[in-house]
Amino acid sequence: MKNSLKVERAKHNLTQAELAELIKVTRQTINAMELGKYVPSTVLSLRLAAIFQVPVEQLFQLEETDWS
Amino acid sequence: MKSSYLLAYSCKKWGWVLLIFGAVLGLVVLNLDWEPDVFNLVVPVIIDNPVMADLVIFRMQEQNLLDEMLGGLVIVGSMMVAFSKEKVEDEYIAKIRLDSLAWAVYFNQGLLFLSLFFVYGMSFLWVMIFNLFTLTWFFIARFNWLKAKMNKSRRDEE
Repeated sequence: MKNSLKVERAKHNLTQAELAELIKVTRQTINAMELGKYVPSTVLSLRLAAIFQVPVEQLFQLEETDWS
Repeated sequence: MKSSYLLAYSCKKWGWVLLIFGAVLGLVVLNLDWEPDVFNLVVPVIIDNPVMADLVIFRMQEQNLLDEMLGGLVIVGSMMVAFSKEKVEDEYIAKIRLDSLAWAVYFNQGLLFLSLFFVYGMSFLWVMIFNLFTLTWFFIARFNWLKAKMNKSRRDEE
């Protein structure tokens, strides 16, 4: 799964640590999500979408391999 | 992230105290075969199968409890270290915790499997004694290693 967290974070001028505090996770979790090492739960995805005020599909997109 | 099976974060440091105290003293007691009389206590024994004596079932009998007490400290300490919350508890750390637990079970059982075939006699008895504790220890090692790796992960531009 691809995500545009880093882009949205840059648009909102937030550091990983600041975003982490806003959505109540650790900075490492933000880092792992941005690097594609961790796929967040629906709740966390919705929290991110709420912070960035975008639909969740704009933050996360399926890839071909997600169907296999 | 609410996890019903986790202890408070403050339990972790006390867990380390109990674990280290129990493990160090336990190894000393085992090596010296030390059984001070003050730890001789009458306990309800469910089953005892002494060498050259009859099987005992459900009886009050005197036992030296020092090694049992230290083993108990190690078990309680290990569990407190292993299953205390992190300072910031979130779903990623919960995933790492569960992955580490699964890894520890595979690793522990793998070692036990190899020991079955390659270790015999009294040495195998020692393998079994240590195996009482190693599952939790392997979990603690793996979980903390992954956490350390995670903390070292590239810091983004601040």
